[in-house]
Amino acid sequence: MLPEQHNNRAWFAVLPVVFIVAFSGVVPLMTVVNYSVQDILDVNTRFFVGFDWYRDALRDERLHEAFLRQLMFSFTVLIVEVPLGILVARCISRSSRWTPFVLVLLAVPLLVPLNVVGTIWQIFARGDIGLLGAALNGLGIEFNYTQVPLHAWITLVLMDVWHWTSLVVLLAFAGLSAIPPVYYQAAALDGASRWQIFRHIELPHLRSVLLIAVLLRLMDSLMIYTEPLVLTGGGPGNTTTFLSQYLATMAVGQFDLGPAAAFSVIYFLVILLLCWLFHTMVVSREP
Amino acid sequence: MAAIELSGVSFRYPGSTGEAIENLSLNVDDKATHALLGASGAGKTTMLNLLSGLLLPTSGRILFGDRDVSAVPAAKRNVAQVFQFPVLYPRMNVLENLVFPLCNNGWKKLDAAARALEIAKELGIEIVLEANVSALTLFERQLVAIGRALVRPDVALVLLDEPLTSVQPELKWRLRRTLRKVQADLGVTMIYVTHDQTEALTFASAVSVMHGGHILQTGSPMEVHDHPEHEYVGFFIGSPGMNFVKAEVKRGAVRVNGTALASTDHAEGECTVGFRADWAMLAPDGLPVEITGFRPDAVQNGMPVGIASLKHDGNRLHVRAEGLIAPGPSHVQLKHHMLFREGRRVA
Repeated sequence: MLPEQHNNRAWFAVLPVVFIVAFSGVVPLMTVVNYSVQDILDVNTRFFVGFDWYRDALRDERLHEAFLRQLMFSFTVLIVEVPLGILVARCISRSSRWTPFVLVLLAVPLLVPLNVVGTIWQIFARGDIGLLGAALNGLGIEFNYTQVPLHAWITLVLMDVWHWTSLVVLLAFAGLSAIPPVYYQAAALDGASRWQIFRHIELPHLRSVLLIAVLLRLMDSLMIYTEPLVLTGGGPGNTTTFLSQYLATMAVGQFDLGPAAAFSVIYFLVILLLCWLFHTMVVSREP
Repeated sequence: MAAIELSGVSFRYPGSTGEAIENLSLNVDDKATHALLGASGAGKTTMLNLLSGLLLPTSGRILFGDRDVSAVPAAKRNVAQVFQFPVLYPRMNVLENLVFPLCNNGWKKLDAAARALEIAKELGIEIVLEANVSALTLFERQLVAIGRALVRPDVALVLLDEPLTSVQPELKWRLRRTLRKVQADLGVTMIYVTHDQTEALTFASAVSVMHGGHILQTGSPMEVHDHPEHEYVGFFIGSPGMNFVKAEVKRGAVRVNGTALASTDHAEGECTVGFRADWAMLAPDGLPVEITGFRPDAVQNGMPVGIASLKHDGNRLHVRAEGLIAPGPSHVQLKHHMLFREGRRVA
């Protein structure tokens, strides 16, 4: 091996990356941080207000509600999508010649643009002409997601499950395919039950892909914006207004740039904190 | 524990055209160590899966003692298997791994733990019982896997599928010795699959050489080495393998291109003469060959002895020789030989 050499000029090699990260991440973020400490009336009239916007944001009742709704939504979709994804992945044969076809079919929802997903479900769940909504109403079950908050929530969660479970399925399927068949053979010889095989062989082997799946779904669901906006517009009332939509209303609708910027920073930090917590508590405890 | 008997067993993989195992019969004595030896693709793994019940034969019978298990699935056969690499339940500790097959068979926790401890002591892994398997070395993990295979006291058959493959070379001997000791102590019937003939010949009391879904020969290690029933067995067993030369029997002698090599009373006609390196020597006359190399492996009476590589008619031959062997033309004479016709030994 060559002796280790020190040459400080090597730092220049890092410069391109520094520039890219600066322009793509740090500069826009700092602009937001800059806005968040000012009261901006128009382009030339602005006052420094310190942490006032942050204080306001943290005391805002409607924001607290949106935050709780956000957590509840993320929790619900994780609770449904992860087990469902594993279940579906377990049902896919690993050696059939139809397997590639099934996988492509499963991936289709992932390719649909977000606002199209919203529109599809907006129509699908409508009580008058939508296949789902009209069918339910036809069966005598009153279903109206524009009036009943619970129905709006059910529709939203169903939509997210439809849209994203495939991601968990694909990841879990990849994880299951990576288990050497001898583990199943050993389990068969040991007289293990189907549940024991799942519990003692499949789940431990799936651990790392499931962590990725949970992390991706957690981050994504915390940032959900387009689909609920198209589907329910945040209603009825504010019952499906999540953090990002609340933020958009503030920044684009009411043009409160200062408070919106402060809230953006808080929002960003919350997501960062949750993902960091998840990482330190679960991922890095890997032996 | 029981004697194993296969009679006329065939197996064809669904969708394939040929039989993976064809009309195969085999007897394994109770408490024996039997090795299945063959190159990859010979049908060894299929045989193991037929024995363990992961595959069921398309025809033929498999008996464990008096019990016909031909149609009995894996979970009910009471067979254990050790795989090429240690297959353990990843989130369990060693003890939990060892008691797992017992608890599934309705053992009480305490009895199972006592039995697991017994086996762990036998294998010398009792000090790691509480350790998680991920903390163990590959060698220790394979010991645990062997322990899990042996933990059921009434296990009918233990299958070993190249169990030394994943173990470091310097630990292979240790693991093999442990296996032999355990086999002697517990008296289980073992079937050991390998493509490594040294492993098979030193481990097993009987060896079956497999090729193309058939067993070509079954016998003691000595028998299959010294009396191969089949050209392939002679070629596959031994290092170097047996030499084969196209020959014919004419006027009471085995002749190659007219040169008489040995006298025989066998029927006249085409045949193949086979001889091991030790059964031949370099001589001033006999079968003309070209010496291409010499690999001494010992010194006797101040002279190097070893294997000389020869060429005859484009065939490579190996003959044991002594002295200072230089490349160039020479001749080979046979002290002992065998005759094969259509692959089978005839004399």
